[in-house]
Parts: sequence; C-alpha cells; structure tokens
Amino acid sequence: MSSLLGAAVFAFWMWLYPQGLNYQEQNQLFLFTWDYFAGRLALPGGLADWLSEGLVQLFYVRLLGALIHAVLAVLLQLGVWKAAGCAGREKDRVLYALSFLPSLLMLVHMGDVEVLMSFPVALLIAVALCPLFVWAGWHRIWLIPLGWWLVGPVIAVPVAVSCLRGRKWSDLVMLLWLVPVFFAQYRLLAAQYPPRDALFGLNYYRLVESLPALQPVIPAVTVVCIVLCGSGLRLRNQLAVDIALAAVLVLGAAGGTALSYDKDTYEVLAYDWLIRNERYGDVVKRAAKYQPRNPISACSVNFSLFMERQLDARLTQFYQCGTQGLVLPSIRDNLSDITSAELLWMMGMPNITLQYCFDLQESIQNGRKSGRFMSRIAECNIVNGWYDRAEKYLDILEHSLFYRKWAREHKDMIADEASVAADPVYSYIRSVRFRDDFITAYDALDLMMAVLYNQNNNNFMAAEYYSAWQRLKQWEGGK
Amino acid sequence: MRRLLYLTVAAILAAACSGSTTFVEELPDIYPDYIGVTIPAGIAPMNFNLPDGYDRVFVKVTGSKGGELKARGRWASFDIRKWHRLTEQNAGGTLLFTVLGKKDGRWTQWRDFIMYVSDAPLTDYGMTYRKMAPGYTTYSRIGIYQRDIHTFDEEPIIESTLAPGQCMGCHTANATDPSQFMFHLRGQHGATLVQHDGVRDWVTTKTDSTIGNVAYCYWHPEGRWFAGSINPVRQSFWTGDRRTIEVFDLASDVVIMDTRDYSLVLDPRLMTEDYLESTPAFSADGRTLYYLRAKAFDVPAQVDSIKYDLMKAPFDAATGTLGEIETVIPASEEGYSVTFPRPSYDGRWLMYNKADFSIFPIDHKEADLWLMDLQTGETRPLDEVNSPYSESFHNWSSDSRWFLFSSRRADGLYVQVYISSIDADGHCTKPFVLPQKNPRKYYHDTLYSFNVPDFTKSKVRFRTRGTYREVFSDERVQATVK
Repeated sequence: MSSLLGAAVFAFWMWLYPQGLNYQEQNQLFLFTWDYFAGRLALPGGLADWLSEGLVQLFYVRLLGALIHAVLAVLLQLGVWKAAGCAGREKDRVLYALSFLPSLLMLVHMGDVEVLMSFPVALLIAVALCPLFVWAGWHRIWLIPLGWWLVGPVIAVPVAVSCLRGRKWSDLVMLLWLVPVFFAQYRLLAAQYPPRDALFGLNYYRLVESLPALQPVIPAVTVVCIVLCGSGLRLRNQLAVDIALAAVLVLGAAGGTALSYDKDTYEVLAYDWLIRNERYGDVVKRAAKYQPRNPISACSVNFSLFMERQLDARLTQFYQCGTQGLVLPSIRDNLSDITSAELLWMMGMPNITLQYCFDLQESIQNGRKSGRFMSRIAECNIVNGWYDRAEKYLDILEHSLFYRKWAREHKDMIADEASVAADPVYSYIRSVRFRDDFITAYDALDLMMAVLYNQNNNNFMAAEYYSAWQRLKQWEGGK
Repeated sequence: MRRLLYLTVAAILAAACSGSTTFVEELPDIYPDYIGVTIPAGIAPMNFNLPDGYDRVFVKVTGSKGGELKARGRWASFDIRKWHRLTEQNAGGTLLFTVLGKKDGRWTQWRDFIMYVSDAPLTDYGMTYRKMAPGYTTYSRIGIYQRDIHTFDEEPIIESTLAPGQCMGCHTANATDPSQFMFHLRGQHGATLVQHDGVRDWVTTKTDSTIGNVAYCYWHPEGRWFAGSINPVRQSFWTGDRRTIEVFDLASDVVIMDTRDYSLVLDPRLMTEDYLESTPAFSADGRTLYYLRAKAFDVPAQVDSIKYDLMKAPFDAATGTLGEIETVIPASEEGYSVTFPRPSYDGRWLMYNKADFSIFPIDHKEADLWLMDLQTGETRPLDEVNSPYSESFHNWSSDSRWFLFSSRRADGLYVQVYISSIDADGHCTKPFVLPQKNPRKYYHDTLYSFNVPDFTKSKVRFRTRGTYREVFSDERVQATVK
C-alpha cells in the first residue's frame, strides 16, 4: 500500500503538476555555504527549512522533484504507522488506512503553491521523533526546546503523542512546557516576527501573515491518526473497515486535490514552466484547449505565439485583454512579470528586464532569492558592462548546485571583454538595445518598440510586437 | 604551553619567510583600502583581506607610541581587545602595518603602510542604518539596524517581518541622541513613529491641508519641533547603460511639527505649487532652518531640469514660525542641484551633496560631497573623500569631529558606509569603510545596501513587543494644523 501511495504521488507531480515543482524551485536559492546554513538556523524551525530547501533545489530536475514528493509521502505514512506502534503496543495497531491520512492531507495542502516543503519535512521529522519522546521521559524538558528550534511548532506532535500515550501528570507538565518554550523561542529567535506567525511556524508557508487552514489541522490530525492507529480498537470486521476507510481516503484525496489545485493558477504556472524550457509550441497547444482569462496567460501565450512565428496570424484566436496581454506593467509579485521580462530581454530592453527580474526576486515574500531571476539579473548587468555587479551575483550562484557551472562559465567570460562581445546573445542584445538614454514609460512602450525597430531593422521582434500592440489597441478601442 | 606553541609557529613562519620571501616595493593590494586612513581609537578592528589566491596572511602592527599586535590566518583578523588597547595607546600616533601573504607556497612581503590614529575620539556608541536591496519598487526584506562601531555587533531595531507589507522609512534621531527618534512606515498601515524617552506615538502626519505624510525629517535641537518634507516619491527607469533609476517627487512641501500636541505649522512659502520644497535641516543652535527648493517641472519628462537650491530662514523656536527666506546656494543658476544639507552639530560646517540634477543623488554617479564653512560661506568639494561613484547620504558624529557617508564606490550599486574625520580647518582624512570581521566576504556576499546611515550616541532602545499589534491596529494620533 505504501508503494501505491508513493507511485500515485510520484505520478501526480511527474505528469499532472510538474509546474508546481518549477515554481517551488524558482522561488528559493539553496547555497552550499556555512552562512546560508547559519541563516536558516537563526530562526525556529531552521533545520527543517534548510533540509527542505536542499531538497527543493533538486526540483530543477522534474524526475527528482516527483521522487522526493513520493518518498516524503511514503515516509510520513510509515512514520505515522511506526509511531502508532509506540503510542499503543506494536501488536495492537489497527486502522492501517488511517496512517495514510496525513500524507494525503499534505498532498491536498500542497495544492496551495505557497506551501513550503519545510512543512512536510518538519512534520516528518516530528513524527519520526515520536518514539524518542515516548521513551525520553523528563529528558523531554530539553528535547522540546531543541526540537522547536530545529523543526518549529510541529514539535507539539511528538509531545502530544507522548502525553496521550503516557497519561501521567509529568506528561501534562511536558505539554504545558510547550508554552514557556514558545515564548522563550519567540523572544530569543523570532522577536522580529508577528507572534502568530511564530506560533504556527515561520517557514511553513511563503506568504507572511497568512495561515492556511490545513497548516494547524494536519499536525492535529496526525496526532489523532497516530493515537487511533495505536489504540488497539477491536472491530468486528477490521478488513471491511479498512477497505471502507481506504475508499473514503481515496475519494477524499481526489476531491481535495481537485478543490485545492486551482486550475487557472496551475495553468499559468505551466506556461511559465514551458517557456522556461523553451517549449513554446506546447504553450500554444495547451492554450488552444484551455486558457485562463487573465493578463498573465495572455502575455505568455502571445509570447509563445511570437516564438512559434504565429503572433500575427493567430493573435485573435486566443484570449486577449488589451495591450497588457502583450507586455505586463510592473506588478509586485513573484510570477506575473516573468514572461514580460523574458520578451523584453529578447527585444533589447535589458534595463526593464533588470527591473522586472529584481522586483520578481524581491517579491518572494519569505525573502528568499531565486536562481532563475538572479541569473537573468547577472546577465542584464553583463550586457550593461557592469561586471563588478555581475560578478557578485555569479559568485553567489556559484555556491548553488544547478547554477554553478553556468556561473563559472560566465565569470570566466566577464574576465575577458572579447568573450562577452563574442557571445551571440549578449552581442545581439547590445546591438539592438536603445542607443539613446531616456526615461522609460510603460504607456509609451509601443513607441519604444518603434524606436528599437527604427534603430535596427533586424529587430523584427520589436516590429511584430509594435504591430500587435496597435491591433490590440484598436481592438480595445473598438469594443 | 600556549607560549611555546606561539614560539614554534613564529619560528616556523620566520624560517619560511627567511627562506623564500619575496620583497616587493609596492603597497599591498588590501581590501578594504585601509592604507593611510585615519581611525578613531577604539574602533572595531580594521580587518582586511589580500587578493584572491593568497591563502595565508601574516600581519604585524607596530604602534608609533608603543605596542605591537600580530594577526595570521586566511585574512588579517585582529583580536578585538588587543586592537583596542593598541589604538588607545597610539591615539594621535600611527600604526605601521607589515604585511606578508602566501600564494602558491611562496611568501611575499610588501612595503609597510601606515594607518593614523586620530587624537579625536569617536565616543558615539555606533551607527544606525537601513539595510535593503538596492533596486526598484519591491523589497522583500528591509530593516533598521544598529551597529556598535567598536565591535562587530549588529542588531535589528525593527525589521520588515514585524510590519509585513509596510515599507520602512528613515530612522531619524535628534542629533545622534536615540532617546528621541522617529521613523516612518509606508503602506496600508503607514504611520510616523515618534519616540521620546521610551514613550512612543504612532502619528498620522497627513492632514486635509497637506499633500501626504512627512518623509524626510530633522529634529530641532531642543526636541519640541521637527521639520519634515512631504514627498510623493516616484521612480522611473533609464534605457541606457549609464544608470538605471531616477527618483523624483511629484510635488513636495516642507512643514514643521510640534511634537507636544502633534500640530503642524504650515507656511505657504514652503508649500508652493510652482516649486518643490524639501529636505529641511535645523542649524546647530536651532535658530535657522535650511531646506531645498527647486522649480517644478513636468516629471518624468523634464526630470533633468529639476535643480535644487539651498535656502534658509530664521526659525522661532517659541512659535515654530519662520522669518525671511534667503538663498544660501543658488545651485540652479549654476546648473546643478544641492541635496541633503546637514549642518554639523558644533555649528561650524554644512555638508551637502551636489549632483547634476534631482533630489536623490544615490543613483547619480556624479554626486559628490561638498562642504560649506558656515563662518565664511565658502564651499568646496570634499575631494579627500569623493570618488568617481555616487556619494550620497551623510551625517555627523555627536561632537562633529567625524562624519559618515554612503558611497557606491565598491561596485557602482551596493552602498557602503564610510567614515572620515574633519579638523578645525575643514580638512578631511581618507575615509574608511565600516569594518567587518571578514570584509571581503561580508561586502561581496551581501545583497543589501546601507541606507541613511547616522551615528548614534548610545544604543537605541526600541521595544519590539507590541509593535505588530500597534502597527496593524491603526490606532494613530492624528496630526492637526495650528
């Protein structure tokens, strides 16, 4: 059964929602440095956060991402079942199907793209600690603060399990001990955060001041599952109950994921993932079947149409929302402007790309950096000839896993101006960029495209976008 | 035992040095450039790095008035207590640095260099600054920090995580005294925090008669008043490869706030439509208010036509009113712009920025620091401290013998804080960047700029407990108009 769960979760991420893996990966930048590690450990839950970011960097490879999700789901299920053994007696374990509930709930919860992997990682560690906490007795007095520091508030799971297992007054003391531990951790490590965020976990969710309903529910359900599975309940027909429970869980998980995985959000993420991998034709194919009616999707589809040389011919066959469906204005989030930044880079506007990529990176609400955005920021600096700044970013990227080789190559490149000049992408952008220095304005973007084309008639992208801009403007005006 | 170990290491090192050390007549290429700088006694150790490739460094520091200190390792890192002892012993003297570096198994010894230890102590506790990514419209993390300049200790005063979604403005103390300070939060729950002796008020400074909340503020030395400018700030972006951002105000006015009842004194001469009035500062005696004024132009199209003059007016501390206004530096007539006037607290000098145009010199490579002698009215560029990159925000130490300023000289983008001293004749010493434990690593790895730095006489006491609730409760003291 565990293998079945693993296979299902693997398939889910591998083929149904691989774009979710891409989104997670591009909103963090794991570095193999001591400072990075120390920075994570400076907050409660830091070890789980560090471990999870180490895993998420591997999402760069889709197969690894799906595999990691599957392994975590299976380990959590096995952990719950194992913990049930210590919560009751090994031979009294019942309701096997219930041990799957936390993993399935987690799958549903992960439908929210802002849920961080540190939540399942922290919960898994917490569940794995249950046998230790049941055994530890008064040692829990130091294990609880240590655990809170390393994995965050989900350390309440093993505390609660050991309390329900022991049912002694000392267990109650340990449960109450969580309160001063929280205040101490808050005062010492998290004083610069809102108390509620510190109470429910600083690094389980990307957005600040938000608490998804399932975040406190899943640890609570996990405790209940562990206790029930270890309760030794004697049922008349255990097999039938297990089958019925399994059916409910499967149906619940299917329904939960259908509700949790917002179709439009994941479609937009899919476009972004495909564009990142230069699979423009696939974007057009997907959009032909279903296209979310929002400017981000319009921007991505139009860009893909251009890359497939179909922008002029098929512009009106897809959803349009005026000129912002061609290039979005600056929007303060970590997703909307990615395609706009990409196309403006190719068109010859590296400074606007720099602005967009900087803002995209700074819009990651938990303050993480992004390998994808930082690479492009470095490139914009290279095109501008600002090699000192570029080197700063390249040195950071050099400490990552998947951007290291690229960073090293580019560091070598900027050491030799001739290499930069010989690079086909950078030399092209330098050749088509604005020759005059003037202040940009989003409202005059079409005029700026016209300037680019007039400067260099090889810049057919500027010409096509200018033409599409005028058509959409007329279309908008004619409505 | 320990001594024996040191002797052994020294002997090995000496043997190694005598065997294969190459002497070169050049000065070592150290980072940061601390060669010939003047430091105050008791400053944090001036640790430095050799260029990449040198895997070991050995440094001997000899004081002109006695004392010696050695450091060895991957970079020059001095013991903090010994460093303090040495600099205090040599106040008014010099420190001679002998530097050896090991690369590819061979030692090199460069020409010795000198660091001057000023006889003017820097008694302030440290400095405050805002750290943020140098960039565009969004910042995931901003914080106001304080740094003990005698050690490497830095701690947050407030970080944006405590007030999510709110942009954090400049921290402004009264002449470096943190018992009275303010800062602004911008955003949905924006407010100006004013703290007197630990008691704090969250104030909405926007009224029906003003165009917004106050932004750039300056305390009157007596502590009752502060002057502030209201600046609806916007940004635009350049297309070329010389610069990226242009920051400008859509409009701006100067107002004066009475902190006894949070009432504003409005002077129509400082709230004109045809001119932009901004960035006020009181003189050391509190009898004069300096501010900037520029003719308004259509922005951003004509942003390069906006050039600020330095103005002043007598200030009546009893009523908060201003006398006759006069022009101090008619910069616009000469085709440039003055920004950030900062009178020294001893009343002797006024430091300001000069740029081609604009009020925001940080993105102007040509922006430099200038100094006005308030006794003679003479002005001059501070060539001793300026660089080819932007020098911008600056402030004085509490005794005005030292000043700090921000500069982009490191890489053209990331702002660092530099410290320099000034003598009675207005001569400044070669500045040094704020010391760090491992400076190259720190400054190269950081993705933050140091904004609006200021000295702080003592440690800033700010209670984080309750701050979140206070910010989001929107319970505000509403400013009124006198």
